[in-house]
Amino acid sequence: MKRLGPIVAASLLLCGLASPPPAAAHGERNQEPFLRMRTAHWYDVTWSADKVKVNDEIELRGRLHMFSDWPKHLFPLGTVYLNLGVNGPVFVKVATYLNDVPMMQSTTLEYGKEYEFRIIAKARMPGRHHVHPMLNVEYAGPLLGPGKSIEVEGEAADFAFPLTTLDGIQIPNLETWQLGNIGRVHAYWLVLAFLWLGWWFRRGPRLLSRFRSIDGGKEESLLTGADRIAGAVIVVVALASVAFGMISTNAKYPRTSALQGGRVRVLPLPDEAEQVLVRHTRGVYQVPGRSLELTLKVTNKSANPVRLGEFTAANLRFVNRGVAAAAAGVPANYPDDLLARNGLVVTPDEPIPPGETREIKVQAADAAWETERLASLMGNPDSSYGALLFFFDPQGKRFVSEVSGPAIPSCTTL
Amino acid sequence: MAKPNKGYERVADWLIFAIIFWTLAVSFKTSEVLTVGDWDMWVDWKDREWWPLLYPLLCIGFPAISQAIFWKHFRLPIGATVSVLGLMVATWWSLYMGHMWWTNFPLTLVWSATLLPSALILDGVLLLTGNAVLTAIVGGSLFSIVFYPANWPMLAPFRLVVDHLGQLATVADVIGYTFTRTSMPEYLRIIERGTLRSFGENPAIVSALFSGFVSVIMYGVWYAIGMKLSELPRLKNAYGRYMGLAA
Repeated sequence: MKRLGPIVAASLLLCGLASPPPAAAHGERNQEPFLRMRTAHWYDVTWSADKVKVNDEIELRGRLHMFSDWPKHLFPLGTVYLNLGVNGPVFVKVATYLNDVPMMQSTTLEYGKEYEFRIIAKARMPGRHHVHPMLNVEYAGPLLGPGKSIEVEGEAADFAFPLTTLDGIQIPNLETWQLGNIGRVHAYWLVLAFLWLGWWFRRGPRLLSRFRSIDGGKEESLLTGADRIAGAVIVVVALASVAFGMISTNAKYPRTSALQGGRVRVLPLPDEAEQVLVRHTRGVYQVPGRSLELTLKVTNKSANPVRLGEFTAANLRFVNRGVAAAAAGVPANYPDDLLARNGLVVTPDEPIPPGETREIKVQAADAAWETERLASLMGNPDSSYGALLFFFDPQGKRFVSEVSGPAIPSCTTL
Repeated sequence: MAKPNKGYERVADWLIFAIIFWTLAVSFKTSEVLTVGDWDMWVDWKDREWWPLLYPLLCIGFPAISQAIFWKHFRLPIGATVSVLGLMVATWWSLYMGHMWWTNFPLTLVWSATLLPSALILDGVLLLTGNAVLTAIVGGSLFSIVFYPANWPMLAPFRLVVDHLGQLATVADVIGYTFTRTSMPEYLRIIERGTLRSFGENPAIVSALFSGFVSVIMYGVWYAIGMKLSELPRLKNAYGRYMGLAA
C-alpha cells in the first residue's frame, strides 16, 4: 500500500506527458519588453480570413517599422528573414514579400525605415492556429507581429502543393515528392547490410566463442577463405551500386542546380519628411493602475492641425476613440486581446496647430500591460519603453512618429 | 575447464550484441546531432560543399570505434555496418516521432541520407586487409568519397530547378521555404560557402575528395581510441570458469 501513492503519481505524470495539450500561442508574451517595444513594430496588420479549409489561402499584410532606438544590449540589426509565426507547418508559405520583393531568401533592413509586408499562406492542418507575421533577426531571434487565431477545417490528407519544374516535370505534391524513391534506395542498402550481417551471424553472433578463440590465440581460425570472398563481393557490389546509381540518376535528371543561398536587396519605402516630431520628457509606469503615463513635447511641422489618435507598442494598440480616423483604422476582426479596452487618454486632447510645439500628457492604461507581460520592462537592462504614435489631421491623413525613453515605476495609488 | 552451456551462451551473445548495438545507436545519434545534425536534417541544407565534406568526416568516428571493438575482440568485420545501422534506427525514430508525428514536418523536408554504402565498404576493406592502417587509407577515404554519389539518387530529384516567385530555386529550396520552420530562418543555412570551389563546375567532387583525405586521419585517430576504450572495462571475471574461460 505504501507504494501505491508513488505509482499513482507516476502514472498520472506519464498520462499527462502522453497527451500534452496543444499550444495555443508561441510564447510571444515571454519575450522581454525591450524586444517587443524597440525592435520591429508591426502595424496596419490584416488577415484576409478567420476561417478557411485545408488548401485555402489567406493573406497577411501590413507595415513593418524598424525602430531607430534599437536596444544597445541587443546585437545590431543585420540579416533578417520574413517568416510566418505558426505552430509548425500547419500553414505553409506560398509567397512572402517585403516592399513587393519576393522574400524566399534573407535580406537586410535599416533602422527607422518603413516596409510593407505581404504573406500568402496555405492551410495544411485542421485546427485552430495562432497566425502571426514574423521577422527572424540574426542574433536577436524571432520578432513576432500580432497574432490571430484562424480556424482550419477539413482533412490534412487532402493537402496538396503541386509544382512544375523548368524541365516540365510535374510534382503533384511537395509533401510526398520522391518518397517512394527514398524508400527504395534505403531498402536496397538495408538488404545489403542485412545480407552482410547475416553472413556473419548465420550461426548466431557467437561473440563469446569468438572471444575465447582470440583469448586463446586462435584468431586466424575465425576467418575463412569464403569469408574473404564475401568481403570482396560486398566491396565490389557496393562500389558498383554507387556508380550505377550515380550514372543512371544523372541520365534521368541531366539538369540540376545548386541550392540557392544568396541574399536579396530590399529598399525601404521612401522617407516621409518628419511632419510631427515627438520628444520624450518623462515616463512613469503606474504599477497599481497598470498605466504608462508619458509627458511628451510634440511639434507639428505639417500644414494642418493634428491630434494624437493611437499609441502602439509591442503589438498592443491604445486608440483615442475621440479621433474618428484612428478608430476607423481598427478592423472589425482585429484580435481583442491586442486592443486596449480603455483606449488612450490624451491631455489636452486638442488639435496641435501647424508650426506649434505643445506639451501633452498621454495615458495608456490597461490590464494588458500585465497580461501581455510588458510591465516587466522595469526589469529590463535600460527600463525604457518604445512606441509608435499615430497623429491624424482633419482630413484623416496619418503621421507616424517614434517615441522612446525611460519609464520610472511608481507604486503610489492614482 | 567447464564446458559452456550453448543455450545460455547464445542468449548471452544476443544480449551483448543488443547492448553494444543500442549503446552505439544512441551515442552515435547524439554525436551526429551535435556536430553535423542540420546538414542531414533538412533537405535544403544538403549542399555540395559542407554536407559531403562534414557529414562523413564527422560520422566516421563511431564506425571506427565499433570496428576496433568487433575486430579486436571478436574478429568480426561488421563494426561499421552495425554502428551505422544503429544510427539509422535512431535517426528514423527521431524523424518519425520528432519531426513528423510531433511537429508535422513532411518527410520530403527531413529525410535522412544513408551511410550504409560507406560502412559496408569500410567493413569489407578491414576484412580484406586485416590492417588498421590500410583500412584507414583505403577504407577511410572511400567512406567519405562514396557518400555523396551514394546519396545522389535520392537527392537529385530535389535539385531540379523551378521558377519560384521570379527566382531560380531548386525543389529542395522550395520545400524548405514552403513548410514553415519558425526557428530555422533561411540565413542560418551554411551552404555553398567557402573556398573549396569548383572542379568541373561541381564543388562536391573537391569536397568529397578532401573529406576522404581527412577521413584517413580521422579514422586512424578514432580506431586508436576504440582500441584503448575497449580495454578500459576489462575487469577480473569472477564467473570466467562458468563461461569456459581460464580461471
